[in-house]
Amino acid sequence: MTRQELDAALARLGLDVPEKEREDIAAAAHLIAEMAARLRPPGGRDVSAEPAHVVKFPES
Amino acid sequence: MVPDFLTIAEAARLIEKRELSPVELCDSRLDRIARLDDRLHSFIRVLGDDARAAAQAAEAEIAAGKYRGPLHGIPIGVKDIYETAGVATTGHSKVMQDHVPKADAFSVKKLRDAGAVVMGKLATHEFAFGGPSFDLPWPPARNPWDTTRFTGGSSSGTGAAVAAGLVLGGTGSDTGGSIRGPAAYCGLAGIKPTYGLISRAGILPLGFSLDHAGPMAWTAEDCATLLQAMAGHDPADPASASRPIPDYRAGLQSGAKGLRIGLIRHFYERDNEANAATRQAIDTAAKALEGLGCSVRDITLSPLADWAACGVTIMLSEAYAIHEHNLRRRFNDYGEIFRDRMALAGLITAADYVQALRRRRELIAELDDAMADLDLVMTAAAPSEAPPIDQVPKFTIMNPPSLTIAFNVTGSPAMSVCCGYTDAGLPLSFQIVGKRFEDATVLRAAHAYEQATPWRERRPEL
Repeated sequence: MTRQELDAALARLGLDVPEKEREDIAAAAHLIAEMAARLRPPGGRDVSAEPAHVVKFPES
Repeated sequence: MVPDFLTIAEAARLIEKRELSPVELCDSRLDRIARLDDRLHSFIRVLGDDARAAAQAAEAEIAAGKYRGPLHGIPIGVKDIYETAGVATTGHSKVMQDHVPKADAFSVKKLRDAGAVVMGKLATHEFAFGGPSFDLPWPPARNPWDTTRFTGGSSSGTGAAVAAGLVLGGTGSDTGGSIRGPAAYCGLAGIKPTYGLISRAGILPLGFSLDHAGPMAWTAEDCATLLQAMAGHDPADPASASRPIPDYRAGLQSGAKGLRIGLIRHFYERDNEANAATRQAIDTAAKALEGLGCSVRDITLSPLADWAACGVTIMLSEAYAIHEHNLRRRFNDYGEIFRDRMALAGLITAADYVQALRRRRELIAELDDAMADLDLVMTAAAPSEAPPIDQVPKFTIMNPPSLTIAFNVTGSPAMSVCCGYTDAGLPLSFQIVGKRFEDATVLRAAHAYEQATPWRERRPEL
């Protein structure tokens, strides 16, 4: 992610990130992209593959 | 004269026989805190008067024949994300330094009901996530085995305070390893119980679907005692399980014979390569478990990075949502590590989050299948002994992949167990993991291992 792309993303999020910390964040942004790639199997998932549901609804 | 170090079990036996006064025990810990905590910074707030009053009440009840059980009169510490009535609960952050709850967290109330004496509020990484940070209102906790070393986090104060004998046990929380990491680096026993076993109501959240509350203590037996008090259904927590709570301490006596254990060696030999001392200590621990009558065989799961990508994406997304309001308005009131990790979290998309939840379902099924003919799995809890406190990278949660978050993804009970020391005297550990709601089996194996090895006999020199 370039600095320009990061600055635009942070502006959209409304975060007042100090200038000296932006380089660190830009340099680490590839970690998010790598995780995102790992979450997606090469051929995609079956459209009906459900997410995990871990929070119960109250019992009626 | 009260010994510097006592386990909960040892102190409880003496208190029950009225050979140890809860007031003397409390005062001895307050003296120890006053003497040592300037170097350890494990406490954010010591509650001396409240603790002494609680100890006096315990002593009077016991003298009147109303002994409540093995936590009666036992000094404990509470991580400062657990709400305490009338006492500030800050998350170790400027953002909430004036937050004074009206009520105790459900689990704190249960510990008090069991007779435990709350000595104070313990240091944490900021909101159980940033850290170790040097730009917060309180300094980070230091490792009692070597105060230049990291305690692990985020239950850093609990790790330091229990290892140093300032309290006999304490509470932690674990969203990606925050009980098991400090337990590993500080040489404790620490269990992240099954998701839903301990209520999260009244505990500041980090990632709702991954947050687990749990105990930390010197031994597995003491963890069982604390877990017994903390576990139980709470309608205020929508994820709280409603099922009978077994007798965890009674289960310890069954021994480890016959337990079938899968060793996930590739997690720490290939995916997040542990150092030689850690690998050797785990090999020796596996042999010791075999010596106790367990069978141990290697198993292979998806690469550790897959588990970490799933868990970290969920954790960051949920944490960002929790803190979004304050991040927009008070970004620079957070410490640098927390706020910059949150800025990265803001780059995760909604689709990423849902894909992580879909991956989570697959990974849960994968572990369940792998454990179909096993009782437990074991692997490393940390890739090495505690590193220097000033050499922990800002984005360490994402790289290298966490050895612990896999079992937050699955909600499984997972425990750090001390399995030796480096030549420099720093603790080493392994992680043992059970099937959901089979926490008793984890504790049973850990207890048998501790009884068969000498590692619980050594304490830090302070």
